Order: sequence, then C-alpha cells, then structure tokens
Amino acid sequence: MKDFVIQGKVVRRELYLLLGCLVAAELVNTAAILHWGRPVLELLTQLGYVVVLALLFYIVLLLVRGLVWIIYKIFKIK
Amino acid sequence: MNEKEQMDLGRRKFCLDLGRMTGGLALLSAAPWLKACTDEKVTATQGETARIGMVGTGSRGRYHIHNLLALPHARVTALCDIYPPNLEAAQALCPGARAYTDYRRLLDDPEVDGVVISTPLGLHADMTLAALSAGKHVFCEKAMALTMEQCKEVYDAYQAGDRALYYCMQRMYDPKYIEGVQRIKDGLIGDVVGMRCHWFRNADWRRPVPSPELERLINWRLYQEFSGGLMTELATHQLEVCNWVAGRLPSEAVGMGDIVYWKDGREVYDSVNVTYRFSDGRKIAYESLISNKYNGMEDQILGKGGTVDLTKGVYYLEEDTEISGMRRLMDSIRQGVFAAVPTAGPSWRPEYRNEYVPHPLVQGSVSVNGGQSMVAADHDGSDLVMSAFCISCISGEKAENVVEEAYGSTLLCLLGNQAMAEGRTVRFPEEYKIPYMKF
Ligand SMILES: NC(=O)c1ccc[n+]([C@@H]2O[C@H](COP(=O)([O-])OP(=O)(O)OC[C@H]3O[C@@H](n4cnc5c(N)ncnc54)[C@H](O)[C@@H]3O)[C@@H](O)[C@H]2O)c1
Repeated sequence: MKDFVIQGKVVRRELYLLLGCLVAAELVNTAAILHWGRPVLELLTQLGYVVVLALLFYIVLLLVRGLVWIIYKIFKIK
Repeated sequence: MNEKEQMDLGRRKFCLDLGRMTGGLALLSAAPWLKACTDEKVTATQGETARIGMVGTGSRGRYHIHNLLALPHARVTALCDIYPPNLEAAQALCPGARAYTDYRRLLDDPEVDGVVISTPLGLHADMTLAALSAGKHVFCEKAMALTMEQCKEVYDAYQAGDRALYYCMQRMYDPKYIEGVQRIKDGLIGDVVGMRCHWFRNADWRRPVPSPELERLINWRLYQEFSGGLMTELATHQLEVCNWVAGRLPSEAVGMGDIVYWKDGREVYDSVNVTYRFSDGRKIAYESLISNKYNGMEDQILGKGGTVDLTKGVYYLEEDTEISGMRRLMDSIRQGVFAAVPTAGPSWRPEYRNEYVPHPLVQGSVSVNGGQSMVAADHDGSDLVMSAFCISCISGEKAENVVEEAYGSTLLCLLGNQAMAEGRTVRFPEEYKIPYMKF
C-alpha cells in the first residue's frame, strides 16, 4: 500500500485558508452588528455562529477548488 | 434555626415575593387581590391558625388538603363527603379532623373558621350561600355557579355580608401570569389586538364507576345537572385571564358546540368554539376539544408588537431587537430563500409561522402546566390562593376583586354555553352586569 504524505506546507496553506474564512465570517458578524445596531459584545458572544459560518465558507471553498482542479485535469489530458 | 424561625420561613414560602418581580409593588394595583398574600399580611397573622373544614374530598379536595397541610397557618379540623371512599381517603390525610356526611352539620361546627368547597359545580351556589350565612369564610372551587341567577345570588350575598369569599382561579396568583399581565399593560407587545385561548386534551373525561348508580356522582362533569362542560371546567380560567388583560369584558358571544367523538351518553359538548367580541371589535377566540391534544393548552395575548403566551410564561416579539445581529441575518437569508416558491405559474409566498425567539417573562424556573391533568399542576398558584384564604380567615379581611373576577369569567362561560345552545349571537345580559364590570 502506498503511503500518503501530507506536506507541512499543505497543512499551513489550509490553516491560512481556515483563518481567512474565520476573518470573513467575523466580518459578516460585524456587518450584522452595525446593520441592526447590536452591542459590540456580540463580536464575542456570537462566536459560535461565526465558527459555523467559517466552516461553511471553508467547505464552499473546498468544493470550488475541487471543481477547478477537475476542470484543470480534463483540459490537461486533452 | 429555632422553631419560630422555621415557622416564619414556612410562612414566607406562601407569600408572594413582590420584591423579586419586575413590577414590584406596582403589581398590587393591577392585581389587588395579591394584597392578601404580601409579606406584611403574613407577618401580621403570625402565631394564629385558620381552622378549615373541607366540603368535597374528591381529587381536587385532597389536592387542597395537601396544600393546607404544608401551610403553617392552617389546620384541617373537619371533613365532609357523601362518597365514603373519598371521605376515608381524606381522613387518612387528616386523622384528627371530624368527619361529616352532611355539609350543613359541618357548617354548624364552631371549630371551623373557613370552608373549602370542592364539590361538583351544580352544588357550589347552595353550599356557598349556606356557608356564608353560617358565618364562615368560604373558598370555593371555580366556576362560581351553574346558572347566571345563582352567580348573581351568591355575588349579592357576598356583597351584603362581611365574610371573605375566594374562588380558586389560580392563574390570578401565578407569578408568570401576574408578571405577564403587568408587562402587557406596560406596553410589552404594544396594543393588544386579540386573544387566543385553547385547551386540547385527548381523553374522555370519564372516571371508572364501581356501580352504575354512582355514575352521575362520579362522572358529574358529563351531565348538565352538575356541569357546564368544557366552558365552566376549563375556559373559566382562561377567560378570566382575558378579562384581566383587557380590563373589561366582551359584550357578546357566538359559538358552536358539539359532541364530536365521545358519543357515550354524555350531555355536555366535547368540542367547543366560541368567539367573544369586545365593544371595540377585539376578540377572544376560544377553542376546546378533547379528542386531540396536539395544540395543548395555551393562553395567547396577541399584540401589534408581539405575542405573550402566559401558559408557558414567554413572549415573542414581531421586531425582536433582543435577537443578535447574526441570528437576524440568518433569519432574513432563510426568509429570502424560502420567500418565493414558484408553483404552477405565479409564485406565492408560504406564510408559515416565523421562528420567533421565546423570551421568559419571569427569571428563574417557572412551573408550566401542560393542561393534561384533571386535578392540578404543582405550584400553579393554587397554594398561594389557599394561603391567602387562610390569612383572610384569620384577619377577617375580604380579598379584593376575587369574587368580581370569578363572577365575570363564569358569566362569560355561561354566555358561551347559551350562544352554542341557541346557535345565535348573545349579548351580555344587562341584569347581570355589576359595577365592577367595564364593557
Ligand atoms: N381550579 C382548578 O384548576 C380545578 C381543577 C380540578 C377541579 N376543579 C374543581 O373542583 C371541583 C371538584 O372537582 P373534582 O375533580 O375534585 O371532583 P371529584 O368528583 O373528584 O370530587 C367531588 C367530591 O364532591 C363530593 N360530593 C358530591 N356531592 C356532595 C355533597 N352533597 N356533599 C359533600 N360532598 C359531595 C363527591 O363525593 C366527591 O368526592 C369542581 O368544581 C371542579 O371544577 C378545579
């Protein structure tokens, strides 16, 4: 059986992406806070929602990247 | 803790802690009957005991005995019932109490200051009148009486005398209702535009009968000679709350009642829908059905800005500023996604109920009665009414507005029954209006 080797730089890239998603989700939270005039404390109290949203962003990103990769492979074979 | 302190603590459990409630002392103006169970009243009667005689020791009577046994300022001295098994069960709870089978003998007993009447509705009026004229203070189960004439007779006798009279309308003493009504009056949900109350059960209301001649004594709820059916048994409580919230009574009623499922020889409806209309057009939609319990029991007060469900002790706001920004964002995305559903050409918007966020009316735990028990829920206010009654037995003071509230709600139940029986809109009869009532 062949071993899969996940390189350190791949892990680092994914972590950066996840962090980016977290920042984007917290930005959405900030926009919602500003829009509905909610207390700033919600930046912290709504972290649960923020994490879920970040994961959602990450999954969407994963799907998009997968799609791009498939399209790239198809064209390369041709 | 010494014995005196223990007794003090015991008493305090049975007075309303107004200080802990948002409305504080202001609650006393919206619910003046609470004056009988304040801390001061409890302290003023310290060291004294009300001697109580029980008339009717069936399921509700024995529930009251349990509450009385927990009260430091009460002692059950006499018991009366015509059905031996129920009398014996009560004697087992109160071994020192004298037992009677004729309530008039109990009323002659000088060791009785106050009488608790928990008998079938058809007997309430005669027993209450006899007890008042015997000089006893009276605590009677709801509803007030079986007919409007009887209600008026009892009301007049009470007004003319100096004895206290209580009705067990426990919602009036339930903290979540008290707080809820006060907050509605303070504008929590804006203008009250309507009320929706219902009580659904899936049970036949029957009790097992050991011998056929006992049918009417045991299953009295099913026969018109003793009972006004779902309206007097269930709706009384809920209509009282509506009157309390509105600060007035509806002036007319229209409704339909039927025996839909339990066609077992009963004489009262097992399905009722009654609409009451206030003079300004607002309505109470009342519904009760005992062959499906999906909707349970709810007392909903509908306001332009929100809804209060007093049964659960929660409120919902139409524009909920208490919801976090993230939550509102997600709600609006969801509403956007599901807003337009194309079906067969033109699009339509399914108006499902929004997912409102419940906010509690009272901090801390509240007891919520699912409405399925025929006897009672724990700590639903019944213990407080009983405590207030015992304090009145000691102090001799009448309770404010309790009889008036019971009179109003009982008359509305009877009006609903009349509207259903006659199949027409009936107006609140002039001859039964009392000065307390506003329309
Ligand atoms: N406030 C509430 O939430 C609530 C709840 C349940 C019942 N109730 C009310 O309590 C009352 C009693 O209901 P219940 O469920 O206990 O009924 P029940 O049938 O269990 O008890 C009634 C008792 O009265 C006795 N009785 C009948 N005729 C009598 C007479 N002439 N003298 C003495 N005793 C007599 C019966 O033998 C029986 O023991 C009813 O008015 C009912 O509406 C109120």
